[in-house]
Amino acid sequence: MITFDSVTKRYPDGTVAVDALDLEVPAGKIMVLVGPSGCGKTTSLRMINRLVEPTSGTITLDGRNVADANPSQLRRGIGYVIQQTGLFPHRTIEDNIATVPLLNHWDRRRARQRARELMELVGLDIAGMAKRYPHQLSGGQQQRVGVARALAADPPVLLMDEPFSAVDPIVRASLQDELIRLQAELHKTVVLVTHDVEEAIKVGDLVAVFRPGGHLAQVDTPARLLGAPTDEYVRDFVGFDRGIRRLSFFPAANLDLAGDTVLPASTPASEAAAIASRAGDPWILVVDLGRRPVGWAAVADLELVPSETTLAGVALAPVGHTFRPDTDSLRAALDATILSRTERAIGVDDRGQVIGTTTYERLRDAIRIAEEAADRGGRAAQARQTTGGIA
Amino acid sequence: MVAGRLRPARRPEGLPDVVWSWIPQNWTQIWQYTLDNALLGLLPPLIGLAISVPLGVASVRWRLLYPPLLSLTSAIYAIPSLAVFVVLIDYTGLGNLTVIIALTLFSLCVLLPNVVDGLRGVSEPVRQAATAMGYSEVRRLVQVELPIAIPVVMAGLRIAVVSSISLASVGQLIGVSSLGYFFLDGFQRDFPTEIYAAIVLVLVLALLSDLVLIVVGRILTPWQRGQRHARARRPDELAGELA
Repeated sequence: MITFDSVTKRYPDGTVAVDALDLEVPAGKIMVLVGPSGCGKTTSLRMINRLVEPTSGTITLDGRNVADANPSQLRRGIGYVIQQTGLFPHRTIEDNIATVPLLNHWDRRRARQRARELMELVGLDIAGMAKRYPHQLSGGQQQRVGVARALAADPPVLLMDEPFSAVDPIVRASLQDELIRLQAELHKTVVLVTHDVEEAIKVGDLVAVFRPGGHLAQVDTPARLLGAPTDEYVRDFVGFDRGIRRLSFFPAANLDLAGDTVLPASTPASEAAAIASRAGDPWILVVDLGRRPVGWAAVADLELVPSETTLAGVALAPVGHTFRPDTDSLRAALDATILSRTERAIGVDDRGQVIGTTTYERLRDAIRIAEEAADRGGRAAQARQTTGGIA
Repeated sequence: MVAGRLRPARRPEGLPDVVWSWIPQNWTQIWQYTLDNALLGLLPPLIGLAISVPLGVASVRWRLLYPPLLSLTSAIYAIPSLAVFVVLIDYTGLGNLTVIIALTLFSLCVLLPNVVDGLRGVSEPVRQAATAMGYSEVRRLVQVELPIAIPVVMAGLRIAVVSSISLASVGQLIGVSSLGYFFLDGFQRDFPTEIYAAIVLVLVLALLSDLVLIVVGRILTPWQRGQRHARARRPDELAGELA
């Protein structure tokens, strides 16, 4: 756990970068510091490993004041990743990754062995890259090396300063996914600085929104930040679509998927029309023998086709995007519904078999229930949280 | 004073005579003077390097130190070499030491800026990352900053060595043996063969030293070699990434 206790950084010219910051980063969580440039987020980060010394206040790491530690020793226990990677251009990839183990006097073979383990962990091709130099790698690969180097000595704490800002959006998204995957495996205490609120919401367990002048505006879970911004500043900062974006944090598992008529393709059209009419459904979801979706049949069309035709022989509206109720969010379900010509989205299981379908009405109910639950949970969590809250 | 001793050259008509037989006849002497010249050309830049690394490190660490140091070394460089020899003779006499000191001072002028530029060329993120990894300042200097500065320092060293090899011959004027002997002797005896031979030898010496330094530089900076390979490999690398 990292604790900022009334930490202030004032530069000799009088600029206050961080003003009486109180913040608690729980162990094993990703805390994202987000805010516009000049809000003190990077300064706050750098005070943890003492690249910057606070003017007043204390920062403790698992209860020990970092100011009491030997800086070099302290830093070897804290991983550090920066935007420009800061890889050593004169060292091979494996030696770059082995930096901290070597500083800690591991023998070279063991350090290189460790470097290779980490290359595998962050998804780098060992055979092709271990002996290369940083400039021979793409930006995304370099950033992976940066993460591997930071993790090499297995530090409990990882500091990341705009780690993914210098790569293109596609690579950035994959690196963010990678971080989330790694964190699920490693449970580091991570402090990540970014100016990108999307990134904060995507990767953070907790998000600390900074105001210009080094003040905290709000510290909360991403869902709470989207659902209940404390003030105008946070609301503006979080940006448009926060209602929609918040749906990413609500699982689709609670959606009611029962309702629409689902029939195999071998069903005669007339029989299908009769079933759907009884249920009052305008659409029939046609599935194959494996219960995988084939397409949507419009009940109104079925009355026009020859009586011997089965559902396989009629014109079907496309299946479109499906979603997985067990793993996807309400946002994915809503998105699939919006994109569907039938205003219905199909929920499938891991084998692609139809579980059921959803409509706007059923989505609306699920969203309302999820939001109410989140607001109750959030208030409860806030009541429990005596420190690390809003400064 | 020196000019008075030299007789004007009287040349026969047509091509200057190159007496090829002179070379094997004087082989021992030629070899000896070449070695002397090589020593005078190589030793001062190496001493200069040993001095300019700590000076360069100090100049980067304490910024105010650099401008006066740079002015001083540049000023020394501007003084004609012969004048420096003459000034130094009072203190160090007529001998190798005088020439070595003078050439060392000259090489500082080339090496110091290169050491400083090389160190300043280490990017801030690299420096910061090294500190954040837990390097002490000294260790960071030795293991990160100086190695990264090697290519720029080597470029300076090559210039220093080549100019030192050619300036060493001027030392002959104060009696320090070098290939310069053949320039003076050839001129005084009106015997161009000696002069041509010495010019060729100075050039060969300079080129050979430069070649050696290039090779040493490559061995010391394998990552730069990689850079060249990377450029040559671009197309198939690209294909690999797309696959």
